[in-house]
Amino acid sequence: MKIETAQPKRSDEPIWWALFSAGGVCFAVVLPGAILALAILPALGLTTGDSLSYARMADMVYHSLWGLAGLAFVAAAICLPLFHAAHRIHHGLHDLQLGGGLASKLLCYGLAALTSATGVWLLVKAWVS
Amino acid sequence: MNKSISIARYHPEQDNQPRLQAYQVQSDHSTSVLDALLQVQQQDPSLGFRWSCRMAICGSCGVMVNGIPKLGCKTFLRDYPDELTVSALAHFAVEKDLIVDMQPFLQHLNAVKPYLINSEQSAEPHRQTPAQLAKYQQFANCINCGLCYSACPQFGLNPEFLGPAAITLAQRYNLDSRDQGKAARMPQLNGKNGVWSCTFVGFCSDVCPKKVDPAAAINQGKVASAGDFIISMFKS
Repeated sequence: MKIETAQPKRSDEPIWWALFSAGGVCFAVVLPGAILALAILPALGLTTGDSLSYARMADMVYHSLWGLAGLAFVAAAICLPLFHAAHRIHHGLHDLQLGGGLASKLLCYGLAALTSATGVWLLVKAWVS
Repeated sequence: MNKSISIARYHPEQDNQPRLQAYQVQSDHSTSVLDALLQVQQQDPSLGFRWSCRMAICGSCGVMVNGIPKLGCKTFLRDYPDELTVSALAHFAVEKDLIVDMQPFLQHLNAVKPYLINSEQSAEPHRQTPAQLAKYQQFANCINCGLCYSACPQFGLNPEFLGPAAITLAQRYNLDSRDQGKAARMPQLNGKNGVWSCTFVGFCSDVCPKKVDPAAAINQGKVASAGDFIISMFKS
């Protein structure tokens, strides 16, 4: 048993914990709302015919909120929930004694970052074209 | 009423691992697990266990009852109509029978400087309002029984994790208006074996016999550590 006298190194966990917390809020609030608006209500025929039309959606994504609505939606519905999930998987691997070290950190947060970047890139690409 | 209880016996010089031994005890509505252990000790004086106050103040008689960390004096046989197995606190090294080595626990408590740090040299008492007291009072009720360490799966995986009681104690002093030692305590909480080893399982708060709620203290500690992280970015 090591006697703890030396000052331990500061953990970088606050960054991942902040992303995890923000992602948790999005998972709880934004995603159910998005699923309700984009999947359940249209499927039940409770929305009008053109509410999800391409023209209307494109206008919303690229022009509302000073043109940032699409980016905000991708961040809240894709990027932050991905980091939330990555954090849970990273710590879950530690609990199962399968990882929790640098490798699982790189894998989990790396995949979340890569997938987030893909989402943002697809949005920006469609916007520019 | 006669009741059979199984006790995990372990003699370090004779046994490779703990073995269960069954005993018969007299039990009525008010018989606690500690009372039962004392009866067993009458039959078999070789049984080793710690106890002192019999009233959930001293924190000495922590044991696993059917695999759940409990204080022997606060747990009653009447609540276990079927089988009842008593063993040593999990996640600690067993010295003999139900006696564990609490040294790692005490070292973790010591690491967070659990005392008032105040450079002000004054003969006057440090006054505190009831509202200032309320901020930390719940966290000051810890009796150092160690049940939360036996409940914590993260301490089980990583014995260097400061653990629930030590972090709660750090938070108890950090929230005290008379204390100025937060800066000296934060480095321990900021490390990977500090607040960030906790995954908020919450079992520590379930088993706490004094309702201290260490899980809440650790999560307050995470917010404090995250704030400290942001401040450190502007300092360096």
